[in-house]
Amino acid sequence: MSAESTRGHSYDGIEEFDNRLPNWWLWTFYLACIFSVGYWIHYHTVGTGDHPIESYVLEQKAAAERMAVQAANNPITEEMLLKLSKEPGFVAEGKKLFEEQTKCALCHGPMGHGTTAMNTPGIGPNLTDDHWIYGSKPMDVYTTILKGRTPDLVRKTMGGMQAWDSFGTDFVLKTTAYVLSIKNTNVAGGKAPESYAVKEP
Amino acid sequence: MSQGDSNTQPTGAEGPGGVSGAAGAVPKPVVQKGKQVVRRPDVDTLFSINPDGSRNAIHPADVHGRFQRRKNVLFAVLIAIYLVMPWLRVGGRPALLIDIEARHFYVFGQTFNAQDFWFAFFFVTGLGFTLFVVAALFGRMWCGYACPQTVFLEGVFRRIERWIEGPPAARAKLDKAPFSQKALRRGTKLLVFAAISAVITHSFLGYFMPVEVLVEAVTSSPGKHPTAFTFMLVATGILFVNFTWFREQLCIVVCPYGRLQGALYDQDTILVGYDGKRGEPRGPAGKQGAGDCVDCFRCVTVCPTGIDIRNGTQLECVGCANCIDACDDVMAKLGRPQGLVRYDSQRGFETGTRRFVRGRVFLYVVLLCLGLVAVTLALTRRRPFEALLVRAGGSAYALEGERIHNTFDLQLINKRPGPRRFTVKSSTGEAIEVVIATGELDLGSLEDRRIAVHAFVSKAAFKAGLRLELTVTCDEPDGAEDLVRIASAPLLGPTSIRH
Repeated sequence: MSAESTRGHSYDGIEEFDNRLPNWWLWTFYLACIFSVGYWIHYHTVGTGDHPIESYVLEQKAAAERMAVQAANNPITEEMLLKLSKEPGFVAEGKKLFEEQTKCALCHGPMGHGTTAMNTPGIGPNLTDDHWIYGSKPMDVYTTILKGRTPDLVRKTMGGMQAWDSFGTDFVLKTTAYVLSIKNTNVAGGKAPESYAVKEP
Repeated sequence: MSQGDSNTQPTGAEGPGGVSGAAGAVPKPVVQKGKQVVRRPDVDTLFSINPDGSRNAIHPADVHGRFQRRKNVLFAVLIAIYLVMPWLRVGGRPALLIDIEARHFYVFGQTFNAQDFWFAFFFVTGLGFTLFVVAALFGRMWCGYACPQTVFLEGVFRRIERWIEGPPAARAKLDKAPFSQKALRRGTKLLVFAAISAVITHSFLGYFMPVEVLVEAVTSSPGKHPTAFTFMLVATGILFVNFTWFREQLCIVVCPYGRLQGALYDQDTILVGYDGKRGEPRGPAGKQGAGDCVDCFRCVTVCPTGIDIRNGTQLECVGCANCIDACDDVMAKLGRPQGLVRYDSQRGFETGTRRFVRGRVFLYVVLLCLGLVAVTLALTRRRPFEALLVRAGGSAYALEGERIHNTFDLQLINKRPGPRRFTVKSSTGEAIEVVIATGELDLGSLEDRRIAVHAFVSKAAFKAGLRLELTVTCDEPDGAEDLVRIASAPLLGPTSIRH
């Protein structure tokens, strides 16, 4: 601790004392050294630790499994939607929602056949024919209404279907039931199928 | 460096490693107590570290005076603000909540989302320049009066230590006492310290999660909020170790602001200092030719970082003004004028004159003002809601007979502090037929929605550069003027190139 014990170098007259470092400081260094040995063995020698990419893949796998379990436990199933589409009361409520001018009817027409109230072709496809763009299976229709549809570059579909999840599950279930109930009813004056729509049995 | 016989010393803080300060320093007196040499603070070493590297626990003596009174009031106010802030609400929203998980930031009635994060730049630089200005003018004013480390250590922990373990001498004695004798007092103190650390941590959490959630988390099983619980445990542990043991080491060794100081001081910075001209040579009260300093070491015993302020400006000094109060007290008893240790600049101590406005202060203030102007402009131009009209992902346009069909997504984000109703209307002329999936919708605060928009234009009316324009209106309650924004995007279609 005397002023005489310097490191012996001088930069612009600035010298450095040769004081002992605080023990707590040294201990952070010693502990880091000890830690690095364990780290080296864990990750590089024995390989029991996962490298970033491996742990990323593992996390992705775990997430996929979680989602698979979630999907398996999804309360909304094909059978349930089919059953709902055959309940007249439920379908009637869906019809009422569908016909509201600011909702489905805006693009698909009040009767769902793709023709607007002014008798002009609507934006949305005809839902009463046998041509479907995004599938006519109950879960397909449900997903289309829930999440909306964006353009598909490969199939050259226009997209532009609004996501209705913000209106709640009840809204989506009722409108899905209604759409399933009018499938293949071929209402007269309906809009012609789009070029990219697929004919379904 | 000493102020008394100073030669051409450069200003600025000195590291524990020492600059050239040793040359001008007062020769070190060797004090003996029995056979043992008593160690006194010097500028060559850290007093809080013994020559063998072990820790020299510092127990600053009790001190009273005008700066202590001011600090006590300030500490109480700052701690009250810290503890109360998470519970305050402005307009039904938390006054200050940085909800990182939901990316919602509530700042005194304003709501920000992740897109507004760039305002943080102005906050951080503003804070930086404010500290620059303060440091250039008054040195480590922040450290001695407002830094959480000081506020909690001096305002809470040291005080409780005084209550439980007694005055400094008793505390030093307790340090050396065998375990069986100190277990009860030490144990009690450590328990209380741990409890207070936990309170500080919980209050801190209250700035990052809503207090209702925090209260729910505290009263329920730790497993329900594992992240918050782990954070609480780790942070409480860090605070506990810091306030029981690490203490002044943080200010001396860890804190970057403390180490920056040397670059921010100059000859005219007002610092806690010792008037060497008046004080030297030191000597007992009655001695002929002696200066005003009676070498009583009160200024040293009250120092929380263990320095002798008479050795000049040192890196360890946090500007707590304990030594000023201590010396004033002694001078009053001796009937001598106060201010032997006082706030003054290096120039003030040497020549008796002070300069307040200097180039660097001017520059720091100008830079600070520039930042303030920029942030004021930015905040006043901040959009109350976002309305972004973008082409629907991956689509170009479609020809449907004589019409051109373009699909867009309108991305709406409500940045108002409460729920609002939004209306979307086309403000383009008759030529473009627009269908908006939901023309009227309600959005909660910081909620967002994607709305499908279709635009049709006849081939004949289409020309390159044609744009779709939507007027989005946000209904403001209580008769306030409605907020309007225009969202626009170009329409695409077939164009022929003419040469």
